[in-house]
Order: sequence, then structure tokens, then C-alpha cells
Amino acid sequence: MTTGAMAVGWNARRRRAFLAGLTPALAVMALLTIAPAVYLFATSLTPLNLTMPQTAWDFSEPHYNYLDLWEDPRFSNSVWIQTKLSATTVVLQLALGLAIALLLNVSTRIRRLARSGFLIPMVLPPIVVGILWRVMFTVDVSPFHRAMAFVGLPIGSLITDPSTALWAIVAVETWEWFPFTMLMMLAALQMIPDSPIEAARIDGAGSLQLFRFVIFPYIRHALVVAALFRLIDSVKAFPLIYVLTNGGPGDVTQVTNYYAFIQAFNFSLWGYASAIATLMVAGTFVLSWAIDRLTGAADARDD
Amino acid sequence: MAKETTPRSGRISRRTVLTAAAASAGSSLVFGIGTAPAQVGQNRPFQGTTLNVSCWSAPYPRFLADYIPEFTEQTGIRVNYDTPGFPIYNQRVDLELSTRGSAFDVLNITFIFTSRWIGAGWFTPLEPYINDRNKTPAGWDFSDFLAGAVAPLRDRNNVVHGVPWIADAFMSGCSRFDIIRAAGMGMPDTFDELERMCATVHNRDGVPAFVTENHFGWTWIAFLQGFGGNVFRNPPDDLMPTLDTPEAVAAAEFFAKLVRDYGPEGALSYNYDAVVAALRGGRVNYSSNNQAFLTQMGEAGSRVAATSNYSIFPKGPAGRFPGVGVHGWGIPAGSRNKDAAWEFIKWSMSKELLTRIVREKGYGAITRQSILDAPFFKERMTINGVDIAKIYADTINLAAAGYMRYRTVHVYPQVNTQITQAIERVVSRQMGARESLRQAQTNSIADLRRAGVRLQ
Repeated sequence: MTTGAMAVGWNARRRRAFLAGLTPALAVMALLTIAPAVYLFATSLTPLNLTMPQTAWDFSEPHYNYLDLWEDPRFSNSVWIQTKLSATTVVLQLALGLAIALLLNVSTRIRRLARSGFLIPMVLPPIVVGILWRVMFTVDVSPFHRAMAFVGLPIGSLITDPSTALWAIVAVETWEWFPFTMLMMLAALQMIPDSPIEAARIDGAGSLQLFRFVIFPYIRHALVVAALFRLIDSVKAFPLIYVLTNGGPGDVTQVTNYYAFIQAFNFSLWGYASAIATLMVAGTFVLSWAIDRLTGAADARDD
Repeated sequence: MAKETTPRSGRISRRTVLTAAAASAGSSLVFGIGTAPAQVGQNRPFQGTTLNVSCWSAPYPRFLADYIPEFTEQTGIRVNYDTPGFPIYNQRVDLELSTRGSAFDVLNITFIFTSRWIGAGWFTPLEPYINDRNKTPAGWDFSDFLAGAVAPLRDRNNVVHGVPWIADAFMSGCSRFDIIRAAGMGMPDTFDELERMCATVHNRDGVPAFVTENHFGWTWIAFLQGFGGNVFRNPPDDLMPTLDTPEAVAAAEFFAKLVRDYGPEGALSYNYDAVVAALRGGRVNYSSNNQAFLTQMGEAGSRVAATSNYSIFPKGPAGRFPGVGVHGWGIPAGSRNKDAAWEFIKWSMSKELLTRIVREKGYGAITRQSILDAPFFKERMTINGVDIAKIYADTINLAAAGYMRYRTVHVYPQVNTQITQAIERVVSRQMGARESLRQAQTNSIADLRRAGVRLQ
């Protein structure tokens, strides 16, 4: 047997060994992720209505739900609301998380304590966050509203005013999740070697120049990853809306997953709700892929 | 707000057992019924069975939690009991029932889901239990339940699927009648008087005049019908929504003015718990809502117990249409403990236990005629000289005309959502009443067609 043939045989055995090692994980993933996704998509091709079980396997008009969605103004409105919510919360969380991470990127006792304190909102269950802020937004019992009234600046209810309801959700969502981006930014900042920073300072770089030309290139990848995580998570901003506004007043805070929830759980129209969910999964996937491609192209240009 | 209640199984004091036994014996004497008050010491065929029971959070199911240890003591049946909030309960149960799962043994049949849940065959017919003397003694007397309350729990063939634990009447109540009286006014009897009263007393003593629950698919309908409108053209046969009629527009404008101009700040966020808390605390004055909620103003612990007042719901230009909501216990088709589940329903709806709940907790939304007629009930249900039992009986009688049919059609949840959103848009000035209701009408038609309803 030649040396080349032996190498090929060893490589094949190694690939098989890797595959054997990965198989349990792949099987679990297929069972827990892919199978439900396939079922979701299959259901979206039916008019499944829970009160009519025979509709579960009715594939006579597989495109009907998607055509119906195309003509449903409440769905397109919910996508627009979702877009506003996701864009603003992700930008605010990144900005706030980065700003505080820069402030805390020094090892002193007080800053270590502050770091732990800032993490509290993130570790609270979302439903608890919702209830906490529900109290804060209820005018006649809220300490915030009472304090504002006491200093002569009374504020009306933020969650029942259509011009502020969505921004109240944005504020709470940002409060809850900026610690996540802060943690990621802190980790990225601590990976930056001291030498380029010192060299830039010796060369007379100011704080802004230091950030723009030295620090930012180091943390850019972490920033993109944090943005992706938060973007995907923002699409799931359900508990806050459920507790704080119930999608209202009217439908000004009715994001896409809330609309799907109403169709499924209030009206029992699971086929239609599955079509909405399928489009949400596809949209999130395409968006993540596009961001990844864009940042990859930018990296290639820099290199 | 959701509230979970767990009975303290196995922690019954001797005093509790003695009190329970004495009260049961006393009730039996009052009603002349020979049903065994307790099976303690007797054969317990369901010993060791565990029942999963759930109902939305309302006064009766909350009160019932205190008595469940006695049921366990009598029958040997353990009960996992929970009472989540109304929307959470409905969503959870709708999904569970649709799978015909066995997770629950006894469930509340929610009024707006009666047609859907019973019509789909998701609940067990109860006649085999009610009519079997081995399972139900004659003294339990199913015919004692109000016919109007049992009606929504029957299917198209008139078969009973639930035992009504509440026939809740929509009425009016105020927390600070002293303010209204000082203004030289009484409880309003017409919509015009209601508006005049609100305009006169709003923010007197710092108390906003009006508040109502933000479930407008319930609280607005009495106004809609009072103005001569309805939800559907001719329910349950013709389900074409009629949300954009001139009567509906007038009702929405009137109602929105009450909520917006005479309500507390953030009135749109008040669910039933918040309404009751605000009324009991004297933070708002007048409300139209369920009797079971409003009468909590007169209970011990309420800051307004001495100043609360009550009346039948006012009449509008087209008449008086106070809502009546019926909820009942049923056994899910998928339950594996149906006989034990019936034991629970039988016990929880017995004259003896209901009598105790009225006497000990002040519960008033009773569905048994014999209790409604009992002198002690009238006495217990008189608050500050107002005969609540009469308001209740008058309201139930009014509803016998059939104007609540809109609520028992299987697609009402769809229209309910549209109504709530439409009224929110009007109250928050996003849209005028006409435009908002036209949108609700369009959306309702789309939702009903999507659900397979043929509209003409």
C-alpha cells in the first residue's frame, strides 16, 4: 500500500469518527429544531382551525395563507411596528451598552460593583420586568408619575397614549437588555492589547481618534455579533407587550409575533398563524445572513 | 391580574372540620336535604385520585379554594387547583381542549367560548351523571339551577355540558355616593343622567367620575344595545357583523367620552382587577361592571364600604340591556378521571357549600333558585340599604329576552378583539368613532371569513 493511499484511508476514518461524534448532537438538533420548523411550515400550508380538526391535513390550497397575508393590512402594519421596535431597541442597546462598557473598562472596586448592578435587569424574568414597569406606568400608583406630579410636571399615561406607547416599550426593552451588549463590549474591550493604545497616545491621538481608529476596529466584530443577537431577540419581544399594552391602544404596539399570537390563541387559526411565524423565521434568517455578508465584505475590504 | 391559589391540603384544623360539619348539618336542616354532608369514615371510591382543576380568577373560584381541603378530607381526592387571569386561562384552555388532552379533569366553560368548546365536542355530556341516582342523589336537584344560566351550557341537541357557577349581572355601582348625593343627584337611571352625573361630579374631592374594565367587547355592548345597535345582524343565524351602524357610532362616541373625559389618567389600562382596586380604594367613583366585582366595594376591608351605592344598569334611547355572563364547570372530553371530576363539581355546586360561601364570604352571583329565594340571601345581599338580590334578579329576567345571544356564537372572540381595539382607538383619539368602527367591521368580516363563516 502506498503512503498516499494510507493517508486517504486515515482521513476517511477521521471524517467518519468526527461524523460519529457529531451524530447525537445532529440528531438532537433535528428533533428539537428542524422537525418543529418543518411542521410549522407544513401547517402554514393548511387552513388549520383547531375547532375543525379535519383542516389539519387539508393541503388543497397550500398557498392560500400566504396570499391572504399579502392582502392583510394588519399583518403589514405589524411588520412596520416590528421594524420600528427592533431598529430602535437594537441601536439604543448597542449605544448604551457600548457607552457604559467604555466607562466601566477600568478595574476599580466601585466599577466592579457597578458592573454587577447593571446586570440585574437582564437576569430578571421578562414577565417580572413587565409587571415592574406596569406599576411604573400606572399613573395613580407609580412613584415616577407621583414624583413628576410633585415637581409640577405631571405626565399622562405613557402606555395608553398612542404617541408614546411604542416608545415606552422601547424604553423598557432597552433597559432590560442593554446589559447584554455591555457585557459583550466589556469582554471585547478587555481583549485589546495595551501597546496600540499606548502607541496612539504617544502619537498624540485624542479620545475620539483613539476610539475611531484603534478601539473600534478591535470591537467591531463583537458589536456585529451583539447586534445580531439583539436583533433576533427583539423579534421575540412578546412578554413586555402582553403585560404592558396588550398590543394597544388600538394596534399601535401590535408587533408581528403578537398578531400571530392573536390569530393562534384567540381565534384558533393555527394555519394562518403558522404562515406568519414562517415568514418571521425566514425574515430573521435573511436579515442575519445579509448583515453577516455585509460585515464580511467590509472586513475583506479592510484586509 | 393572575392569581394562583393552592389549597392547603392536609392542613385542616379540628376547628375547621367541626365548623364545616356544623354548617353542613345546619344547611341540610334549612333545605331539608338528606345528602350526606360528609363521607368521612365511609367508603371512599376515589381515594388517592388526583384531579387537576382550573378556572379563571373570579370571586367564587377564589373563595372555593378555601374549602377544597374539606373535599379532600371527605373524598380522599387530592386537587391541584389554579386560577390564572381571564385571558391567560382562556388561551391555555383553548389550546389544551383542542388537543383533547388529559391534563385537566375539571375546567370552567368560559361564556364566550361556550359555543366553540361545547360545539366542538370538547366537553363531556353531563346527563349520564345528573340522571344517575347512584352518582347524583335527587336532593342535589339540578333543576334548581336557573334555566337561563344552564341554557348556554347546552349543545344544539339540548344536552347539558356544564353546571353554571355564575350568572354574572352587569350593573352599576359607585364608591363615593356621598359626592353624588352632595351634588343633589341619585344613581343614574338613563344614559343622559349618567353623562350629567359624570360631568357634575368629575374630580370632585379628587375622584374621577367614571371607570370601566378595558375588555370593551363586554363593557361597551350594554351601551351599544342601549343605543339600538348590536354586534351581529341576527345571531346566531346571521353572523354578519353590524359594528359600523349609526347606532354603534353613537354608542362609541358616548362611551368613549365617559372613559376619556371622566375617567382616571390611563383609563384604557384598567382591567377588572384594577377597576375593583380603584373602586375599593375610592380612587374612582362610578362604574358599570359585573355584580361580582362591584359588590366587593361593600365588603369588609373596602375603604368605601359605607359610601358605596348600587343600581341596575341605566337605560339608553332603545332600552335597558345589561349583560349577563354565564360560566360553568365542565369535564373535558379527554379527562381520565371523569367520575371523580363529577364528584368535585357536585360538591362545589351543592346547596350546602354554596350556602356557606354566601354566608361566610358574601358571594352573591348565585345560580341556584332556592338560595336566591332564601331570606338569608336577601339579607346578606343588601348593602347600604340597596337590595342587590333584586337588581340581580331583574337583570337576569331582562336577559331572558335573548339579547345575549351574540356572545355565545363560536366566532365571538374574533369580533370581541376588534371591538376592544376599535374602542381603544376612539378613546385614545387615534380615529373618530365612524372610521374606527368601519375598520373594525372590515377586519371582523375578514376574520370571520378566514374562520370559515359564510356571510351574506
